Amino acid sequence: MKTRKQQKPVRKRADPRPAKRRSTRRRPAAARAQGRQAAALTLAAECTVAEAESLKTGLTRLVEEVTPVTLNVGALQRIDTAGLQLLAAFVRDRRAAARAVEWRGRAPALDAAADLLGLRGMLELPAEED
Amino acid sequence: MTVDLTQFHDAFFEESFEALDAMEAALLKLDVGSPEPELINTIFRVAHSIKGGSATFGFSEIASFTHSLETLLDELRSGTMAVTVALSDLLLKSVDVLRAMLRAVQAKQPIDAQRVSDLQFDLEVAIAKKSEPAATPAMEPMAPGPAAHDHTGTPPAIAPRWRIHFRPYRELLARGNDPLRMLRELAALGELAVRVDAQALPPLTDLNPPDCYLAWSLELPGEVAEEATRQVFEWAEGDCDLTIERLQAATPQPAPPPPLAVVAPAPRQEAPAKPEAAMSGLGDSGSIRVSVEKIDELMNTVGELVITQAMLSQLGSHFDGPEAEKLRAGLGQLERNMRELQESVMRVRMLPISFVFSRFPRMVRDLAQRLGKRIELKLTGEQTELDKTVLEKIGDPLVHLVRNCIDHGIESPEARAGAGKPAEGTVHLDACHRGGNIAVEVSDDGGGLDKERILAKARARGLVGASDSLTDSEIHELIFLPGFSTAEKTTDVSGRGVGMDVVRRNVKELGGKVELKSEPGRGSRFTITLPLTLAIVDGQSVAVGTETYIVPLISIVESMQLKATGITRLSGHSEVLSFRGDYLPIIRLHELFGVEPRSRALHEGLVVIAEGDGRRVGLFVDDLLGQQQVVIKSLETNYGHIEGVSGATILGDGSVALILDVPGLIRAASMRVAA
Repeated sequence: MKTRKQQKPVRKRADPRPAKRRSTRRRPAAARAQGRQAAALTLAAECTVAEAESLKTGLTRLVEEVTPVTLNVGALQRIDTAGLQLLAAFVRDRRAAARAVEWRGRAPALDAAADLLGLRGMLELPAEED
Repeated sequence: MTVDLTQFHDAFFEESFEALDAMEAALLKLDVGSPEPELINTIFRVAHSIKGGSATFGFSEIASFTHSLETLLDELRSGTMAVTVALSDLLLKSVDVLRAMLRAVQAKQPIDAQRVSDLQFDLEVAIAKKSEPAATPAMEPMAPGPAAHDHTGTPPAIAPRWRIHFRPYRELLARGNDPLRMLRELAALGELAVRVDAQALPPLTDLNPPDCYLAWSLELPGEVAEEATRQVFEWAEGDCDLTIERLQAATPQPAPPPPLAVVAPAPRQEAPAKPEAAMSGLGDSGSIRVSVEKIDELMNTVGELVITQAMLSQLGSHFDGPEAEKLRAGLGQLERNMRELQESVMRVRMLPISFVFSRFPRMVRDLAQRLGKRIELKLTGEQTELDKTVLEKIGDPLVHLVRNCIDHGIESPEARAGAGKPAEGTVHLDACHRGGNIAVEVSDDGGGLDKERILAKARARGLVGASDSLTDSEIHELIFLPGFSTAEKTTDVSGRGVGMDVVRRNVKELGGKVELKSEPGRGSRFTITLPLTLAIVDGQSVAVGTETYIVPLISIVESMQLKATGITRLSGHSEVLSFRGDYLPIIRLHELFGVEPRSRALHEGLVVIAEGDGRRVGLFVDDLLGQQQVVIKSLETNYGHIEGVSGATILGDGSVALILDVPGLIRAASMRVAA
């Protein structure tokens, strides 16, 4: 599941500050587990209003993370307005604090929904390629 | 969360009536052919907010009717339908019907369903007529459906488009609606341009996941049927603000036009107040609504304060010494502040006369049409303010005067052309402050009063002796007699409703008077003079024996001391005085009210020349005390009606003074003489 970790250096925006490897106090376990790499969150298959609370919890943990955060959407099957709205707030808040978000994996459901709701720009989703 | 919506009904009705007035005014200003878009928008907004409000409160008939009306207005707004005279008539009728419906619902009476459905049918016919020739060809090139979902190019430059503003309420998601699904359905109807408004999206940490914070501005090709678009939002009705409007000759790109002027949406918890919020755009936001009772209560308290203050002032004048000086200075200050307070409170009750004037454009238009006359209505001084109670009561007399001007005054276009006048007659309504009063004038440039005909009629009815010759003003007075009419045929304009006698009586009840000037061939002018308020009167206090009476200043012509030679004693008890070549009857107030006077000799007292009902009399009093504003207390409510007395007031020393009603006094005195 995390096999593509290394092959996506594309968006690696050099963070001017050295990664605070030592200070792990505010870093969630998931991020710590990834070692020196950026923190990440893997989205569940379903990200709808029913799962919105748990998605929010996951995102809130990462919103103040100083290193770039990776959102892995490879497993995402279904998303609705509630889910997209959370992602949009997350990306916007991080961008406002000059903190990067990277997307990993492809989720047609996410692309279609973001286009329909006019949120592609706000989510900083990479353009649909292929 | 059940909220008792009935508490908002009153506000809804009040605002709806105001909105309808605004709509009517806008309709009357609407130029056939080249209507001003802003006016159409105003009209549309009214229909829209009444529709929204009535749907919220469950007034389904009103909601359904306004829906048809709104559809028609939407066609006007988008320019697919032209404003014609017939259409503007139809819309004015809709205003009437809406008003009637609102009144009926307000009074919990049944709605005149026949009238409503007839007009609704007419509205729908008008809509259908338009769509037949225009819509059919437009429908052909593009069938709505998924096939239309095509990313290849921009739509044709001139193609009309639908602009949809979709602002879900917070709870929309929690109710099982998903904008994503709706937008997907819309995209299936045609190429959908989406612009999201995320201004309301809070920081992630403050975000409540089941709430919807986003809003959208959408555009769809004009070929898409509106009904299909609306259906998409069917389930979200009541959970969102939705407007669907047709854009004519929209920008070719679906790309976002200049950013939305985004207003941070109000917190959703005030959902029940929504109809008002929607309406508030119509009125001025810098005001609050206060019930009249509250203001009356305030007014009453201020009245009591005025009395207390007068009492203290009087008491203060009895003291001496250095401390007394300070006391009097303080009392003087108190008096000034009291007056300011009183004036401020009175101003709260004041409304511009435009509230009454606003009904006339419509009335004049309808009447002129019916009578085949061409009339221009001029309104001036609409901002003149007067007391709400006076305002409410002045409406009917004014309506009658204006009707009279149109029916009797203004001639037919042919007759006017024959007399060398412009074919279009003018009726002018003017209001202004004159002294402590307000003067409302209704004038026309018609034929003026036909003195011969009035005199002939009066003779025929035995009101005037065959050989009597009357002055112009006496002839004019005749038309104010009950049942007097010179109309040869009773039209539905002049044959019903109040006569001139009722006009005068109504005005008199308000403490005002009606005067008439007329010039043959040039027109006539009615002037109504009214007090600014009914709560306070400017009065002259007069002493009769130990009693004090208040004579309203408006009735006083002048006051004079009589010489013994100026009095002529007639047979019986009556006395007359010679006043500027006229003989006026003298009314001895002490006799009328059974008071012991200081002196019975006329030359030892004073005579106040007062006028009422076009008649002048001399009121014999002992002395004039001073002029003051007095707060009127109703005698009827507190005691009973006395002929010749319009009310009472409490003086500074706590004693009660009667306020004289001069016309009533004249009547009472002449009855005594007759007896």
